[in-house]
Amino acid sequence: MGVPKRKNDIKVYGVKQNVDGPDVIGRRKELLERITKSDTFLPDSILHEDLDLGMLDFVKENFKIISDGNQIPIIPRILTIQRWGEMTNNWTFADEDGNMKLPFMAVIRRPDVQPGTNPVVQRTIPDRRDFFYASVPTWNGTQMGADVYKIPQPVAIDITFEVTIVCTKVRDINKFNRIVLQKFSSRQSYTSVKGHYIPIILDRIEDNTPMDTLDGRRFYIQNYTFTMLGFLIDDEEFEVKPAISRMFLLNEFISSNNYAKKYINKTIEITIATFTADGMQTVFSVGESINVLFTVAINGLVQVRDIDYYHIAGTSKITFTSAPDEGDVITITYFKGRNDTFIDTFGKPLQVSYENFTYDGSTMEFTTLSPIDSVISFDINGLVEDEGVGFEVSGNYTVKLLESPAVGSKIGVVYLS
Amino acid sequence: MKHKLPITRLSKFFSETDFDLNIQMGQEYLHGDLNMKLVIFRVDRQRTDTDEVYAEVGKDQIKFLPPVEFNALVKIEEPKNTTYKGGLGRYLEPGNMNISVFIKHLEELDIDIRYGDFIGYPESEERIRYYTVTNDGKVTSDNKHNMFGFKPYYRTILCVPAQESEFRGI
Repeated sequence: MGVPKRKNDIKVYGVKQNVDGPDVIGRRKELLERITKSDTFLPDSILHEDLDLGMLDFVKENFKIISDGNQIPIIPRILTIQRWGEMTNNWTFADEDGNMKLPFMAVIRRPDVQPGTNPVVQRTIPDRRDFFYASVPTWNGTQMGADVYKIPQPVAIDITFEVTIVCTKVRDINKFNRIVLQKFSSRQSYTSVKGHYIPIILDRIEDNTPMDTLDGRRFYIQNYTFTMLGFLIDDEEFEVKPAISRMFLLNEFISSNNYAKKYINKTIEITIATFTADGMQTVFSVGESINVLFTVAINGLVQVRDIDYYHIAGTSKITFTSAPDEGDVITITYFKGRNDTFIDTFGKPLQVSYENFTYDGSTMEFTTLSPIDSVISFDINGLVEDEGVGFEVSGNYTVKLLESPAVGSKIGVVYLS
Repeated sequence: MKHKLPITRLSKFFSETDFDLNIQMGQEYLHGDLNMKLVIFRVDRQRTDTDEVYAEVGKDQIKFLPPVEFNALVKIEEPKNTTYKGGLGRYLEPGNMNISVFIKHLEELDIDIRYGDFIGYPESEERIRYYTVTNDGKVTSDNKHNMFGFKPYYRTILCVPAQESEFRGI
């Protein structure tokens, strides 16, 4: 059984409904769902690469500029000097020389990442340690418990990005400027990084168009500087510890329809368990410890122990050497007492005895070596006979056949004496 | 009147006849021996609609006069390994193209080369590289472009590589 995913059981920590209102709780839970999409209960890591990718996605999604009927392409990577050459050859907007066709846009990240100013995590707690995040119920099939998830306070970082447009028309510059200023009309916007809202602030706009020479390629280049107020969450710092474990005990109750109780001398309870084979099953369990196994029969035919089946004393299982046919009725007769001593109603100890006889064609009565207290089973050639139908106890030392079997038939009697 | 003022300087040792002979010899070398051919795509400034505010046009909105093949002495500079900004956005900028063309040749073809026109230079059998004129060399009163101080005889035209967004070529 797999570990159940009960993410909804994670409580939104520290929320008081009467103070914040039900909408706030709902929203907080919604946000919690967003950051734990991968079903790990814990938020995913947010590292530098994730934040860079978040900025790139933000630019691709929001800065769509149409020039001459086509969208100005955005370089699909964060621009660096080192990987430039090998990347350009794969871009569809490169010309035959491997140079990018104008116009295009690029996202450049400044290599120096600064300590963060994100207001959410500005109040740093000294002595970096883990804090409670959630307790998650666990279940490994037999044990139920809970894991306590702890995470440290995220680390605030500021990353500076430059979004650059290189084009040949002032009209494209205008379009880009309009889109950016509309998006950042309140100076900041947000991108989503693994479910976390990360603010981005527009810092400044500058023009880098080469103006000093006429004898060169003519183009406009403008630079928009943004600061991403990000934070780092590193899953290697997470801590998951088991908190509480409870043993889950399963008691299996077997339907009484398949069981019959046979009382011998009122104090001795013999159980007869009946199963119907499915043609594949070889192991049959009576659901309780068998102290004394009397007989195992298939369709009334007594099976031979250690040949037709195996049984380990004190266990509940009968294991057949080959699966009984589908529809076969298996009957297991046993005593489940704590030991193999039987006591009758007068406190007299009784022993289990087993004797064999051969029918000679004339003698219907058979004399046992010990006095018969009660018969547990009686079979002719392995075929179980019911008392009063196939046999009867005719005396202290005798059992009597009520019908004549074939001459030479083997008769087995299990009895208490 | 075509000739406003006849040029008489140096007439004792150098005349129009000598000038024409030199031009003829130069053309024989340039057009006959070198036979360096270029194609000029002249912008039709009457039919091209430009943006009313910025006078810009899209790459497919420029209207051209019929292209004309002409001969010129071509000098192409080395490509520059450069960047758009501060070391970022590297590109290999093809070198500028300097062409020298006889004024008489342009007169014979009845064409002019102007700032903003495009010139195609067949770099190989499969590829023509396009340049745009950034210095049409119309001012030829310097000593270099004059033959012995007699009168100008060729123009030096500076072209820079054209962007695909400006000119798509043929």
